[in-house]
Amino acid sequence: MAQFTLPANSKLTMGKTHQPKEPSKDPKQLAIYRWDPEDDKNPRIDNYEIDQEKCGPMVLDALMKIKNEIDPTLTFRRSCREGVCGSCAMNIDGVNTLACLKSMSEVKNEIKIYPLPHMRVVKDLVPDLSKAYEQLASIKPWLQRKKTNEEEKNSRDEKKQLPKDREKLDGKWECVLCFCCTTSCPSYWWNGDEYLGPAVLLQAARWVSDSRDSERKERLKAINDSLKLYRCHSIMNCTRSCPKGLNPAKEIAGLKKAIVTEL
Amino acid sequence: MKKMTDNRPLSPHLSIHKKVLTAVFSIFHRISGIGLSIGALLISIWFFLISSGPEFYNYFEILSKSILFKLVLMIWTIGIFYHLFNGCRKLYWSFGIGMELSQVYKSGYVVLFLTLISSLVVWYFA
Repeated sequence: MAQFTLPANSKLTMGKTHQPKEPSKDPKQLAIYRWDPEDDKNPRIDNYEIDQEKCGPMVLDALMKIKNEIDPTLTFRRSCREGVCGSCAMNIDGVNTLACLKSMSEVKNEIKIYPLPHMRVVKDLVPDLSKAYEQLASIKPWLQRKKTNEEEKNSRDEKKQLPKDREKLDGKWECVLCFCCTTSCPSYWWNGDEYLGPAVLLQAARWVSDSRDSERKERLKAINDSLKLYRCHSIMNCTRSCPKGLNPAKEIAGLKKAIVTEL
Repeated sequence: MKKMTDNRPLSPHLSIHKKVLTAVFSIFHRISGIGLSIGALLISIWFFLISSGPEFYNYFEILSKSILFKLVLMIWTIGIFYHLFNGCRKLYWSFGIGMELSQVYKSGYVVLFLTLISSLVVWYFA
């Protein structure tokens, strides 16, 4: 049975308010989730103020400004700062997205920042993704190609793909595995132990759709499971939250359809 | 080290995630489904009272006249139409049709509109 409330050690408390050293010309308030593994306290919400005149436009710019100038203990993942690495995924203003792609001007009032929902927290805004990565490995996200005849076994030719087959991977390969979609999915919140979640199923669809892969049927069989796949009830939160504008829900529908028509 | 990973808190979810329309439509599909099952039971009891002889007909009349019961029936009609139209939407999705985000939002509003119109029509004639 799903637990809809937070366990006792996860309940939020009020944290510190960091007053700005000098008055800001264009102030922006940020309320950020903090949790330190080295003390025994509950998570808290710390409040910060930055001056947008002296800061880049994105939420990630604000986080880095806070870390550099106000509070060096603030912990978050970041790398590319342009939406291709998927590191800075977090819940901003109630919706999961990449901090580097979310403009501060999109949020009218105070910017509330939490880690990706319903995940174990390593520290502050850093969630533990190891379960999600295990699930990704379980769908074998690599090209599998059985060599059936002698000619194929000895061949060293590259595996060519027609443009129209390559097009079938569009909308799938662009995924940066930030897990914004997976952690926005209520089904994954309640059944994350078994249900693979939209990000991993999108990857499953990516390898199922690859014309060079010979294991399409085996892949479909492997995910044809009431928990792994069919906990998806087309809630569509995944598509709503994807910062890359992909549509995992639609790809999952495609997988379900392929299972019905091909297996 | 073991202790550090054992007491990791669970990040907040329901309480902090925005009530996005996609999820709201979905949860109301479930709620209306559960409501309809309970409502169907109540309505069958209501019908059962008519067929149970004259001494029960009195109860049938009292029940039928009560405003509370009429309210339940009204909510039940909203539930049945919402579940019907949203169910059709989900059927299309099973074929992968209408799953672009813009279409999802549009069809959601269409469901609400049809539910409202159909309920009003039923209430007008009932």
